[in-house]
Amino acid sequence: MFGLGQDDRRLLWQRMRAPVLASAALLGLLGVNVLLGATRPFAGVWLVEIAVATAMVLVVLLVSMEVRHEPPLVRLFAGIGFFWVAILFAMTLVDYLTRAA
Amino acid sequence: MSAPGTSEVGVRLAGHFATVEQQRRAAVLGMWAWLLTELLLFAGLFLTVLVLRLLHPEAVQEAARHLKFWIGATNTVVLIASSLTMSGAIQLSRLGWQRGMVRCMLATAALGTLFLALKGYEYHADYEEHLMPFLGDRPYALDRLPASRLFINLYYAATGLHALHLFTGIAILLVLTRQASRPGFLAAHQNRIEIYGLYWHFIDLIWIMAFPVLYVLNR
Amino acid sequence: MSGSATTGDAHALRDPGIPHATLDREADYLHAEHTLRSWFFTTDHKRIAILYLASITAFFVIGAVTAGLVRLALVVPDGQVFTNDTYNKLFTIHGVVMVWFFLIPSIPATFGNFLIPLMIGARDLAFPKLNLASWYVFMTGAFFTLVSVVLGGVDTGWTFYTPLSTAFSNTWVVPALIGVTVVGFSSILTGLNFVVTIHTMRAPGMTWFRLPIFVWTHYATSLIFLLATPVITLALVLLILERAFHIGVFDPAYGGDPVLFQHLFWFYSHPAVYIMVLPGMGVISEIVPAFARKKLFGYKFVAYAAIGLASVTFFVWGHHMFVNGQSDLASLAFSVLSFAVAVPSAVKVYNWTATIHKGSLRLDTPMLYAMGYIGLFVLGGLTGLYLATLAINQHVHATYFVVAHFHYIMVGGTVLAFLGGLHFWWPKFTGRMYVESWGRISAFLIFIGFNVTFFPQFILGYLGMPRRYHVYPPEFQFLNILSSAGSTILAVGYIFPMVYLVYSIWFGKRAPANPWDARGLEWTVASPPPAHNFLTEPKAPEIPYDYPIQASETQRHHS
Repeated sequence: MFGLGQDDRRLLWQRMRAPVLASAALLGLLGVNVLLGATRPFAGVWLVEIAVATAMVLVVLLVSMEVRHEPPLVRLFAGIGFFWVAILFAMTLVDYLTRAA
Repeated sequence: MSAPGTSEVGVRLAGHFATVEQQRRAAVLGMWAWLLTELLLFAGLFLTVLVLRLLHPEAVQEAARHLKFWIGATNTVVLIASSLTMSGAIQLSRLGWQRGMVRCMLATAALGTLFLALKGYEYHADYEEHLMPFLGDRPYALDRLPASRLFINLYYAATGLHALHLFTGIAILLVLTRQASRPGFLAAHQNRIEIYGLYWHFIDLIWIMAFPVLYVLNR
Repeated sequence: MSGSATTGDAHALRDPGIPHATLDREADYLHAEHTLRSWFFTTDHKRIAILYLASITAFFVIGAVTAGLVRLALVVPDGQVFTNDTYNKLFTIHGVVMVWFFLIPSIPATFGNFLIPLMIGARDLAFPKLNLASWYVFMTGAFFTLVSVVLGGVDTGWTFYTPLSTAFSNTWVVPALIGVTVVGFSSILTGLNFVVTIHTMRAPGMTWFRLPIFVWTHYATSLIFLLATPVITLALVLLILERAFHIGVFDPAYGGDPVLFQHLFWFYSHPAVYIMVLPGMGVISEIVPAFARKKLFGYKFVAYAAIGLASVTFFVWGHHMFVNGQSDLASLAFSVLSFAVAVPSAVKVYNWTATIHKGSLRLDTPMLYAMGYIGLFVLGGLTGLYLATLAINQHVHATYFVVAHFHYIMVGGTVLAFLGGLHFWWPKFTGRMYVESWGRISAFLIFIGFNVTFFPQFILGYLGMPRRYHVYPPEFQFLNILSSAGSTILAVGYIFPMVYLVYSIWFGKRAPANPWDARGLEWTVASPPPAHNFLTEPKAPEIPYDYPIQASETQRHHS
């Protein structure tokens, strides 16, 4: 491939291992969600689907975007947005889930 | 070494920074701060979808079943592949393998374009099936469920906004590729590839959330 | 550049033991270049701050004139001054312009832009080009808003509530929405720049707890810019789509929910109150120690209170929606959480008053504004607690009580802090001193005019006068005339500084580097500062607010 020597090939694989594994994991998890979405095996399946989607998000953040190698400050910034999304959802749902029918 | 097109790797110091390290940290943090805003932007859309689902469960379910599930799934695969090529570009830029890096960037842009093409085909199929309730003079297939039009319209808003981000992303990527193919680019601006890569991965991440929210969870 | 011409002959005669002069007057940022291009394409944070200052002053004038017209209309109870449509447009333009084009950028985009790099010992913000872009984005948003005004105006109120804004209003809503959406991006870019700058650009030795409180409050404000603004961007985009395509998500006719718009709107717009208030608190925290000659009391508490306010404010937005169809439990939760805001707010007020206590007070213009700020902020804050109480809110919701409350915070708070800061740092910005006696007179006029304008509105609201109507029962006329009379005093108080400050640019006494003998790195450089801020490596102070009087927490135990 690309006329690379033995050493270069090893170096390339060493660098690309994490991204390749991440993509494989993402495709696997996507497969699970597609299967669940297509078959709808049981009523509470949405809980599993959310868990799978969350796992995919974590793979992208931690591996593809390399958050696991970043200093604490960047990790904080990567996480804080999701915390604020949780505030938005939680406080809005306090309204919608408790409205009189 | 023997690798083709190996070049020096580094970042040139801009005047107002004290050190290159400081400059790199500022760039990474700046991109993450921007991504925060992107996340909150799409979160508002996802919240709107959730509220619609709570208010009109049957209509939303019926509408979600009319979305092109398999095109959405295929597009997710396309974006995951584009993330891999983007990661490839980043890794090669660190090694200084400029030619391979440029090829990876072009592959990323191609996959992004494929996503948009599939998205366009999907919109076309939706149009044929009379699933465009926002077109006032065109009959709407799910007219018996008035609330379903809200979900379908929101689907266009969400996927349209994502497509806009992807389109902008491809445009920037092509400009960056042009710059990055010049000799000496990696010696002066290697971190631009990394910063841009964060943005690309994040568009991918948004779609990874949008696909279940729109196509899967509400079926 | 032209300064170097004089050094030619003199150089040979110089005693080598005498160091070179550190600054020639020509080298300051105002005189570094003179072309229009050097202003409109500058990446110098100080020049961009001046661009913003000029722009927001123009918007303040528009907002103030419309406010004056609103007060004029309210002099008579029968609504004969303007048509209903015109009146609705006037208060809408006043609200939109004042909130989005004056209050939100007021202190951060001007003082923050100018001072943060100086205060932390940096040469510029982290992304100077982005900083310039933010001003152009701001002006683009401003253009769309002005277009909507020129074409015939908007009548929805600054809140753009649905379905009025989507289904019923037949005014120029879309250009106004585009303007406000676009201007949000300029806030985001400013906030992003500040966050990154404060994290990565501090001078060696400038640790977080050596930073001025001004920097802390701007950090907190910037977090709100980043985390809240995108949500209103989305809400406004959905409104635009609603008007263009009738997507229906907020339209009850299709089963949409107008209350959802309010959730998205207030998720931003309540924290936006702290975008307007926190920078002002930063200004006050700089002025009070400088004019009490005393170390800021409880520095860490004041710093943490800024972050506390910026966080708690995201949990309280529903208190704007108690009577709008939100569930009872949600109202209860939002009410209880709203009371929590009082804690960090009170921490700040107590610490300022404790700083003043036994200080060696100098009642110069900035300090007069700061004292006014503290008093008015307390009144505005306490009436906020009334409004957060469910039962009282039922009574005074959408009355002039609310109008008075938020004007005590927005004008009594932010505008007074803005004017206080403007006088405090004016010598630094321009290199000129203003005439102190004029400054004091206008500070008094503004304080008196403000209270005469807005205190009667508390009573009007409590008696039941609703906001946004210009026809009202005749028994309210006396208080309304009082309020309108007050607004004329306020107007004179605003016009004075515009005249004597501008006058000082050409005719004022030259300002020394540190006219107030204040602490902080911005006072260690010349007035106006050199183009690249620091001629020598800035040295972070060991202790922030190292003023002569050190009556600190520990000494108080002994007394």
